Amino acid sequence: MTALTANAAPSRWRNNRAALRFMRHRLALLGLAMIIFLSLACVLGPHLLPYDSLYIDLRARFAPPLTGYHFLGTDPLGRDLAARLLMAGRISLLVGFFAMVLSTLIGTLVGVIAGYRGGWVGAALMRTVDGFLSFPSIFLLLALAAALKPSPVMITIIIALTSWMEVARIVEAEVRSLREREFVLAGRMLGLSGTHIMFREILPNAMGPIIVASTLTVARAILMEAYISFLGYGIQPPLPSWGNMLNGAQQYLGSAPWLAIIPGAAITIAVTSFNFIGDGLRDALDVRDDHI
Amino acid sequence: MTRNSSTTSNYSRREALRLMAIGGAAGLIAPNLLGKPAFAKTPPAGPAGRVVVGLSQEPTVFNPLMAHIEVDDAVHFSVFDALVRMDPQGGLHPNLAAEVPSQKNGGISEDGLNWRIRLRDNARWHDGEPFTAEDVKFTLELITNPKFRAWRTSGHSLVQDITVVSPTEITWRMKEAFAPYLSFLAETFIVPKHILEKEADPNTAAFNQAPVGTGAFKWSQRVAGDHIELVANPEYAGEGPYIEQLIFKYIPDMTVLYTQFKSGDVDLVDQSFITADHYTEARELPDRVVTLETGASLESIYLNLGRPQFKELAVRQALYAALDRKAIVDTIYYGVGTLTETFMPKESYYYDPNLPVQEFNLDRARQILDEAGWAPGPDGIRAKDGVRLSFSNSTTSGNNLREQTQQFLQQTFAEIGVEMTISNLPAAVMWGEFWLKSQFDTAMVGVTYLIAADPDATNRLHTKAIAAQGGHGSNTGQYSNPEVDALLEKGARSFDPEERRGIYNRVQEVVRHDLPFLPLFAYTIVLGRKKGLDGFEPNANTRTASWDAAAWQWKA
Amino acid sequence: MRGFLLNRLSQSLVLLVIVSIIGFGILNLLPGGPLAQFGLDPGMTQQDIERLKGLLGLDRPIWIQYLDWAWRLVRGDWGHSFRDGAPVLEIIGSHLFATLLLMGSSTAIAISIGAWIGIRGATRRYSLFDYLATVGAMVALSVPTFWFGLVGIYIFSLKLGWLPAGNMSEIGDSSILGYLHHLILPSVVLSLVHVAIWSRYMRTATLDAISQDFVKTARAKGLSERRILMKHVVGNALLPMITLAGMQLPSILTGALVTETVFTWPGMGRLFLDSLGYSDYPVVMGLLMFSAILVLLGNLIADIVVAIVDPRIRLA
Repeated sequence: MTALTANAAPSRWRNNRAALRFMRHRLALLGLAMIIFLSLACVLGPHLLPYDSLYIDLRARFAPPLTGYHFLGTDPLGRDLAARLLMAGRISLLVGFFAMVLSTLIGTLVGVIAGYRGGWVGAALMRTVDGFLSFPSIFLLLALAAALKPSPVMITIIIALTSWMEVARIVEAEVRSLREREFVLAGRMLGLSGTHIMFREILPNAMGPIIVASTLTVARAILMEAYISFLGYGIQPPLPSWGNMLNGAQQYLGSAPWLAIIPGAAITIAVTSFNFIGDGLRDALDVRDDHI
Repeated sequence: MTRNSSTTSNYSRREALRLMAIGGAAGLIAPNLLGKPAFAKTPPAGPAGRVVVGLSQEPTVFNPLMAHIEVDDAVHFSVFDALVRMDPQGGLHPNLAAEVPSQKNGGISEDGLNWRIRLRDNARWHDGEPFTAEDVKFTLELITNPKFRAWRTSGHSLVQDITVVSPTEITWRMKEAFAPYLSFLAETFIVPKHILEKEADPNTAAFNQAPVGTGAFKWSQRVAGDHIELVANPEYAGEGPYIEQLIFKYIPDMTVLYTQFKSGDVDLVDQSFITADHYTEARELPDRVVTLETGASLESIYLNLGRPQFKELAVRQALYAALDRKAIVDTIYYGVGTLTETFMPKESYYYDPNLPVQEFNLDRARQILDEAGWAPGPDGIRAKDGVRLSFSNSTTSGNNLREQTQQFLQQTFAEIGVEMTISNLPAAVMWGEFWLKSQFDTAMVGVTYLIAADPDATNRLHTKAIAAQGGHGSNTGQYSNPEVDALLEKGARSFDPEERRGIYNRVQEVVRHDLPFLPLFAYTIVLGRKKGLDGFEPNANTRTASWDAAAWQWKA
Repeated sequence: MRGFLLNRLSQSLVLLVIVSIIGFGILNLLPGGPLAQFGLDPGMTQQDIERLKGLLGLDRPIWIQYLDWAWRLVRGDWGHSFRDGAPVLEIIGSHLFATLLLMGSSTAIAISIGAWIGIRGATRRYSLFDYLATVGAMVALSVPTFWFGLVGIYIFSLKLGWLPAGNMSEIGDSSILGYLHHLILPSVVLSLVHVAIWSRYMRTATLDAISQDFVKTARAKGLSERRILMKHVVGNALLPMITLAGMQLPSILTGALVTETVFTWPGMGRLFLDSLGYSDYPVVMGLLMFSAILVLLGNLIADIVVAIVDPRIRLA
């Protein structure tokens, strides 16, 4: 076994091979292209469109798509839907991204500590993980969102607080299996501190599964934002998000179905793309995982 | 057009009220409606048919004395009776009482302190037991029982020395004269002593899930989360019932509620009613009667006068001039809403029609602020003496039409150099201490000022009702004007409608001048029912459209 | 076996305590509360609200409220609703049937269709079908359930008028057909995500089973492919699915909650949202505990069943 060399110092060669494998994954590339396109559209689009996403024009309300000057039509206050969709994309993608960062940090921290320390600390931490997992997460999300003042930052934190467990489990398992490997034992012999071993020696070797899990977390976080905003507890107007654009759209389903269809399609595209990327990364990084 | 016709009918209603009021001494008293004779329509052979009432919230509190919300009233009014009831014109009628007590008939003493109520002798509980004065005594005592999770206690806490003179007569003494109490009794349903006195804890009694009343309908069954079924009480002492089965169907989504009305699955749309955006379509539906009815509450921008921005009258006037109320009502609310200048419902006998009318004028708004010394700062927002004219506006999150209105106002206010941010909260946070203890800057809120249609608005407008300053009440805008305080105190002690009208007209005048809140529009509901449902009448003086299901019947 | 059970049970109990503390803490530490529903009532004064607060025990320190609640729960008393005073367990019970009906029917759809897609995909690996199934599953996992529901309502209720847009039955119509008619749209919508999950798991499990030695042996014995597939492969592939069924419970509950909202279905999800709206803490806590217990039981039973079915797994 070449576990020692391969794990302790992931070589440039291995990285390149992973990149190659990823490039061969057509769906992953498609997903990546979609995300780059969506991000660029959301960043640049609002500057290019002749409409302000917040400008209200009551005379132009409920214009259907592809008629008149509004490409995707207008909402109940006569605001341009295309402009709103892109501004909303900024919020939704940012919430998704930062929720992922935060939850990955929490999950990694908990996982590393639990896996490395083991014993009662590890047991207590992992039981807490199980505790969070045995709530249907939407109950927890809604209970939190119903009681806190909804702002993008708060929603991000709430989503992160309910989605770090998956990462914690993966990291804990990974760390536990690496703990007794030669390079870790070697590190101990050299008198390196526990923190150093945990974060500098073991963690880099668990990066593969973490990266895959975080990609899937972005997808999940975008969906979660949509769920809570749809139920009215999420991002509040006038700030648009894909989820809160759907909130209230049900009311106009008969008369203005595009209000529901367009933001929902945007969510589906973004989430699918992240899932494709995650799938490609799993293959590329050779992560064995029974979850999808 | 429809709005016009409803205005005229309001007017004639007011006229009718005026005539009625002159005859009565206390409250507005009309002849006995329940004694069947004068008003009785040709009654069908027996109760027949079924009426399905759609509700967008679920009634779950069936003990009418326990703390409950509007939607629960629909069931209470059908299963129970109060001593008196209030008709759509604000007139009081005997219900379990044999006559409405007044100073004229001796039911209320000249000083307003001693009350004597004669009760009807033919009412029975649904289980066959006779209704007596003991039940009334039990009910009034239960409300003030400190262990019981009672609903409103104001008025009831003044009652003492309750004496059962005979099974059909009861007397009590009030700690102080309090005219609104007679109206409060119209929302105080009488519960059976013989059932509830056996319960160790009235808060968790089995009765609360299977109520027994004296009303026109008997409890049959409830499928939780879905519907409640009531059946006709053939022994009912009053008029009716003419329908066999009364069903309250819970349909949480307003669009689905409307769809079911359209398809004919729901015969009458009650609580939360038809949404404004469906009004135009609903009006055209065949075999449906869809009308606009003014409700009792006022949609307004509540200003927290404790905030430095709003201390100055000029600011409040400028903000009011910047409200494009017509655009809001006509467009966002699809024309469903009536512009008004006061908190008093137009239906009320005490409504003052001569108040100055607001005019939307941004130039005027800017001018007022300029003259008052609020000059635009470098960021375009006006300021004076270090106070920026910037505030947040809050309401229940998820309320779409309000959110649209907020965003519209935000844009208009920005045009006069005023910054309004939106900070909405979940209902359970919004209407808790945040609202009651005046922690908001401004709130967009539909407020009802009258309790049981009595014009007394002490709870909302009196200085001693500011909870944030340790007061007893819900004056959450922290409005304080000594003249209004004095008028409200005088009005609560007076039993003379003419005198009270003068008092409350003056209150409305002062409040309109002071602008402690900015009126947007009087709530108007879109009421829909199937053609052929006879005997139905809307009633702005109750919180439910199903206040008189006993009179409903299907026309052949 | 007995030691295993005791161990798992005690772990589950610890979990329940953690769950209850998290839930209770979140609900009670935050502003507002169950009495806010009376904030706009013209006749309810601040004093009325303080009085009710005292009667509901909400004026006590939170940890005392928690201990009181937990002690009652231990003795089997789930408490009473703040709103109507009805026993919490009774309230949950009266909403249980609707949710179980929806969950059951959608799980049935998900398992049968998912297993079919999974087995077919595994036996024809890398075929067009397999490829489409893989992509389809990933897209299905990405569609927001409620949005799928809205689109379903738009097409099948509003445009075509084939299926009802909501509710569980019509008043006065308690026929099975009536229920089925209402059940179609919500259970199909709810099953979408789970068809995707089941098909992926079934595919992996079937692939694993196919590569096992006993399949090769069976082939060598000359058994027909169909027989091998049905008896050996599927039989073995089903084993991990039992665990999965247990693990899927929370996500089915979550899905049910959202689906119930879109279709105005009178189940526990609906109850949870309503109770949350009124801050009816005893009911909300009851639902949290109830679902946590359901999930833990699901996992436990799955573990036990697997242990009994598969002698290779030793219960430590």
